[in-house]
Formats: sequence, C-alpha cells, structure tokens
Amino acid sequence: MSKAKRIQPSEIRPAPRAAGKVLDAQLHLLDRQMLDVDGVPVSTVDDVELSGPEPDERIPESAPAPHITALLTGPVLGTRIFGGRPPSSRLIRIPWRVVAGVDTVITLGVRSDSLDASWVERWLRNHVIARIPGGRHDP
Amino acid sequence: MKRLLGVALGILTAIGGFVDIGDLVTNAVVGSRFGMSLAWVVVIGVVGICLFANMSGRVAAVSGRATFEVIRERMGPRAGLANLGASFLINLMTVTAEIGGIALALQLASGVAYMLWVPFALLAVWLVIWRVKFSIMENVTGLVGLTLVVFAVALFLLKPDWGSLAAQALSPSVPGEESTGTYWYYAIALFGAAMTPYEVFFFSSGAVEERWKVKDLVQSRINVLLGFPLGGFLSLAIAACAAVVLLPAGISVTTLSQVVLPVAQAGGQLALAVLILGIVAATFGAALETTLSSGYTLAQYFGWPWGKFRRPAAASRFHVAMMVVLLAGVAVLATGVDPILVTEYSVVFSAIALPLTYLPILIVANDPQYMGKHVNGRAVNVAGLVYLVIILVASIAAIPLMIASGAGA
Repeated sequence: MSKAKRIQPSEIRPAPRAAGKVLDAQLHLLDRQMLDVDGVPVSTVDDVELSGPEPDERIPESAPAPHITALLTGPVLGTRIFGGRPPSSRLIRIPWRVVAGVDTVITLGVRSDSLDASWVERWLRNHVIARIPGGRHDP
Repeated sequence: MKRLLGVALGILTAIGGFVDIGDLVTNAVVGSRFGMSLAWVVVIGVVGICLFANMSGRVAAVSGRATFEVIRERMGPRAGLANLGASFLINLMTVTAEIGGIALALQLASGVAYMLWVPFALLAVWLVIWRVKFSIMENVTGLVGLTLVVFAVALFLLKPDWGSLAAQALSPSVPGEESTGTYWYYAIALFGAAMTPYEVFFFSSGAVEERWKVKDLVQSRINVLLGFPLGGFLSLAIAACAAVVLLPAGISVTTLSQVVLPVAQAGGQLALAVLILGIVAATFGAALETTLSSGYTLAQYFGWPWGKFRRPAAASRFHVAMMVVLLAGVAVLATGVDPILVTEYSVVFSAIALPLTYLPILIVANDPQYMGKHVNGRAVNVAGLVYLVIILVASIAAIPLMIASGAGA
C-alpha cells in the first residue's frame, strides 16, 4: 500500500492511560512458551491476532480500541520470518480467553489436548510413538 | 553423607562426560603435530565452558527455562532460526562423529569392520534414549568414561621428559615444520572441541530434566568447577601421550588406532582394553548427549513438550525428531565418509557457531525478570564479556584459517 493512499485521521488524541499491568507484545508475548493447565508445553507464541479495523478502513471517532483475540502458532511463524500473510482460515488460534496468566511463560487454563495447536503432537503420538513398544511407559 | 556422595558422583560424571570423540581426536592430532604447544588453548576452553555451563545451569535452575527457549525469546524468531539451523547441523555432525566413534572403538576391540558396528551402535543409542532414566544414563556413561584416566596413567608409564613437556606448554611456539596458519587453525579446533555448544544445551536441559532448584546450585557449581577442569586434564594427557610417542615417530593421527597407540605401548593389552572401554563409554555418552541436544533445541525453539522425564508418548515430536537425527547420522556414515574427518570438521564448525549460543545466555543471566536476585555478578559479567570477544574472534577467523591452511593439511 502506498503512502499517499493511507487515510489519516484528522486529529490524533493521545492514548488513554492503561489501567493495570502494561504488556509489551514484543517483549512479553511473542516467542514466549505456552504451558497448559497441567504445565505441559503447548507451543510458542508465533504471532498475535488483533481485532480491529482492516488496513485502509476509516476509523470512526468512537471506535473501540483493538484487542488481542488470539495467540497464533504453526505455519504463521514462517510469515514472521520471511514476510507475507497467511489466509485467516489457515491460522491456528489459541483464543485469548483461555489465557490464564502472562509471566516468563504464558499459562493457559485448558488442557493441551483440547487445542488445535497440538494436533501434530497428537497425530505423531497416535500413529508413531504409541505404536512402538514402551512408548506409553515411563522410562 | 548422601549429599557428599551426590557431589562425588557429580564430579566423577562431569570428568567422564567431558571427553568425547572431538576431544579425543583433536587432542591426539594436536599432540602428534604440535606437542604441548597448544595446551594453553585447552586451559582457555575449559575456563570458558565452566563459566558458561555454570551460567546456563543457573538460568535453568532459577527460571526453569532451558537455553534454547531463551535464545528464541531474546533473539527473535529470525536470528533464533538461523541459530537453530547452525546448532542443529553441528549437532547432526557430532552425532555422526560419535556413532562413528563407538563403531571405531568396537572395531579396535573386535577386529570386525566398523561399518558393521554402526547399526548396532544406532540401536543401542536409541534404546537408551527410549527407555533408560536420565540420571542412570548420565551416571553410568560418566563413570565408565572415567576409565579414560588410563591416558594419564600411560603418560606416567611412558616416563616422559616432564621438563620439555612443561617447556612446550609454558612457552608455546609454532613447531618448525608447521605453518602459523595451521597452528591457529588447530587452536580454534581445540577451542571448539572444549566449548562445543551441545554441552551447554545439554547441561541446561539436563538441569530442567533433573528438576534443579536454587538450592541445587551449589552442587552444580562444584560439579562444573571441579569436574570440567579435571576433564580438561584428561584432554591434556591425551595430547601429552601423543606428543611423547607419536610426535618423535613422525606419526600424524588420522585413525583411532593411532590415538590409542601410546597407551598400548605404555601399558600393553590390559591398558588398551581399559582404554577401549573408556572410549566406547565416552563416545556412547556423547552420542546420547548430542542426540538429546538436537531434540532439545528443536523442541525448545518450537515450544514442543520435551524431556526424558516424560513418557515418549507425552513428547512425541521430540522423540520422532531424535529418531530422524539418528537415522540421518547413520545415513551419513553409510556413505563411507571417515568418522575421524567428520569429527575434525565438527569441532571447527562448533567454534564458528559459538557466539550464537553464548551471547543469549549472557543476556538472560542478567535479566532480573528471569533471574530475580540471582543475576550475574560483576566479575562473572566481565569474564563473560572477555570470553565473548575471544569466541567472536575464533568464530570469525575459523573459515579464513580453514581455507588458508587447507583444513589443517
């Protein structure tokens, strides 16, 4: 998109002061490990999905501020490294409402197995690892 | 008493676990060509690995985060991926070299061609990774690897001229028949062999595997600060044996049988048998460590469940990745490439990738969000920065020196 086409709002007011803990997406969310409710690693936060206006859309005066709708994982990582944008239907989402805590790790309030994000883990478990003798036993 | 035993066991396994095929071959090659004139590099390398292994162990114990998770978080996905690629490739080379080393040692013991031992070694390594408890795996290979002390015993039996060995070590100079470029190339190879990045990945992930907490830090520090330097002494003994026997005879090391020659000459068949046992244990232990390390790095970058404390079914991608790595290593060996050559290249490539591993550890060890009050002290930071400069210089100089010296030819 060229600079000339970008729609600028007539006046930009300073952002209201945030209540509570301020998180920097880059510092505190991206590339952090996600653990499920039992402490099992789920994935790393590969990207963040925000609600809000599409590019080039005029923002009305009283529009609500964008918020995080989901943490993304999977192939979207490739687009962060090499650029581009995957179609929305191909994103693997971890909805923000299941996030229970943000610290040096991000804890989720649900089990890993209930999430789409761990489908490869489950597929390999059911089709490869569990079929090899000893795969289901403690070492 | 139990605590004391734990400390003793930790030190012994650190000694036995320090030496791998890279140290064995590089030290013997260097001893046979340069005498003890590169001993100072081993000392610098050992101090460095103590410094950073200790730091990464502390990060893992305090924050519960293993090294590669930290690398991705702090360097971002792009630099992290570059690092992952480099580390993974080096790990793969090292796995290949270690499995080749097991097979070569078994060939020495049996006379059966090493290629026939490779599938056996592969299966044994995989079975241990699949079924054996982490602590048992660590302690058994470390303790049996301790038999490599026979190098030090052999050195005494050879009755060398200690004065001239010490003179070579204390006032290093490039031997007349070698070029300066080759000397520095091998200096970097020795440095890479002592500071191989997989040791740090393994050490920090092992701390998570064994659920270290802050109160275990003292013990880990003792293990590192006593075990690694004593392991370094073993490295020097290997080089000294080669310097006493092989250098005067004009033999430059290209096979494992030449590495063991001084010990066989000094101690006869019994010493040789003990040594082969030690080499098998050391390379086997290192094969386990490198295979696990390649699984750890991948799993930690992508955030998969990992670790031997989980059932394999609860860390399926981790275990599949390690199977693929082992098969890839064996596929490389199946081409008939000389495992000793793979080893020599793997230590130099390790040296090239060193800054990628050690910089993020230093950064995170200073981050109060992870470390609380256990952040680095000033002295450790100064030492860490000095080492980063050394590491960076070695890393940048490695490729030009490799080309200039024809890879040490």
